Amino acid sequence: MSNPVVSLSHIAFGTETSPILHDISLQLEAGHFMGIVGPNGAGKSTILSMLTGRIMPTQGYIDLFGERLGRFNRHHLLKKIGYLHQLHQHEAHMPVKVHEVVAMGLDNYTAPLWKSLFSSHQQKDAIMQALAYVEMQDFEKHDFRYLSGGQQQRIRLARALVRQPKLLLLDEPSAALDTKQQQKLYTLLRQLCDTQGVAVIMVEHDIAAITGHVDSVACLNQSIHYHAMKGEQIPEDVWHQMYGEHMHIIAHDAGCIGCHHD
Amino acid sequence: MMQVALVAIMIDLLHEFFASPVMQDALPPALLIAVVASSISVMVLAHRLSFLTVGVSHASLAGMGIALALALPLFPTATFFCIAIALLLASLPKNRGITEDTGTGLLFAGSMALGIVLISQVSRNEVDLFGLLFGNILTVSKQEWHWLWIVGIIIFLAFITMARAWWSIAFDAITAEASGQPVTLLRALLYGTVGLSVVMCVKLAGIVLTTGLLVLPATCAWLWGRSLIGLWLLSMGFAISSTCIGLLFSYQYDWPSGATIVLTLCMMFILSWGISSLTQHRR
Repeated sequence: MSNPVVSLSHIAFGTETSPILHDISLQLEAGHFMGIVGPNGAGKSTILSMLTGRIMPTQGYIDLFGERLGRFNRHHLLKKIGYLHQLHQHEAHMPVKVHEVVAMGLDNYTAPLWKSLFSSHQQKDAIMQALAYVEMQDFEKHDFRYLSGGQQQRIRLARALVRQPKLLLLDEPSAALDTKQQQKLYTLLRQLCDTQGVAVIMVEHDIAAITGHVDSVACLNQSIHYHAMKGEQIPEDVWHQMYGEHMHIIAHDAGCIGCHHD
Repeated sequence: MMQVALVAIMIDLLHEFFASPVMQDALPPALLIAVVASSISVMVLAHRLSFLTVGVSHASLAGMGIALALALPLFPTATFFCIAIALLLASLPKNRGITEDTGTGLLFAGSMALGIVLISQVSRNEVDLFGLLFGNILTVSKQEWHWLWIVGIIIFLAFITMARAWWSIAFDAITAEASGQPVTLLRALLYGTVGLSVVMCVKLAGIVLTTGLLVLPATCAWLWGRSLIGLWLLSMGFAISSTCIGLLFSYQYDWPSGATIVLTLCMMFILSWGISSLTQHRR
């Protein structure tokens, strides 16, 4: 077996008095689809930020594709990573066409203008392929500002996919999506894992929606409380440790009207 | 017949305009500034830096004050001072919870005050205060002309090498950083370049009107452009045509050149706005 795509060893982050993450160790093989769930402020987004090298862990170390992540190899390791950050007051105020937004995910997008005035066919194909993944090909020439929130989110996902990443980091990717699009997204991610060996780490709130698609679920609240493999039940006391006593566990089955069944 | 007469008058005027030695001196530097300022103005709008340009242009008064007090060359001193102020503003805000507009306001007032105190100490004949405040392109010395060329070429090269990176940072800085771009460095370079552009524009439009040259061309283009390249070319088009029209009017009616150019840009914006809201139904 080759190197794991991601390997976190005893990661800690935050100060001693207010720790955000504590003793996190994880390994992810190619083609593995992992969901991270946990309450607000559990440090879910912090883990993803660390994997993109935007913040450094205070303890422990991160290996990506068998290489230790540091300040200087960050740039070339990140080429293989697609990242979709959490949606916050990100207001698109610039006139940008959809295909240009997707192109921003390409590594050579930031080349000087004289080199990039004429985009190659290869780039165009990559952009169209990424748009096809999220079923937005028809919107190629539209102005990004005038798309709906869900459509914008799908374009952002296409921007993460256009890099043909080996590792996808998704922070609540379904935030602006309806249930149908949400299920389509999970199906797409599953397919990328199975056919292209992409490893996916996805932070989500709704565990019920993802259990059918992921290979494992990590329950995170400062540390990893439980790492359940597919088909495994997460014990009830883990939930109570994470979310406190005030929670109800509702079992979803085929008859549940709140769930979407294809 | 009326039309023919009108065209004849226009041609006469244009001929006279281009033949006049004053305009022959003023047009090339004004056009150089137009091209450079309009390119950068795309980034000023994308990164919402219009207040920064106000701050830095006013800060340049302190730079000139220092130059006059210490008998240093005026333009080079102001240039370094402006870049320093712009970089200071780039590094100031994030860490201490001082927002960028507070920081800019602070430096704006502080350096303006310093400039006024310093300049008040120099004898009145040495300083063309009106020219500093409102610009004077008609008195470009040989040295200043060289200086304008050097600064202009630096800004232009910086723009065409980093435009795409700056653009993607303006669109989504987090993703840009997560894909390995040195965002902090690129931002500092952008602020420095904007600082440099301010110095150039101060020569043409003066401290008070500089922001007009660095904001208005791209604002006009914003109504029509749909991509970075489109916005850039449109912005240059608006700036070059307004500069020509503005100088023509300023020559004909003896209006101050910088103010006339800014006024022309304003008119262009109002016109574009009207036309675009009439023709573009989809918002």
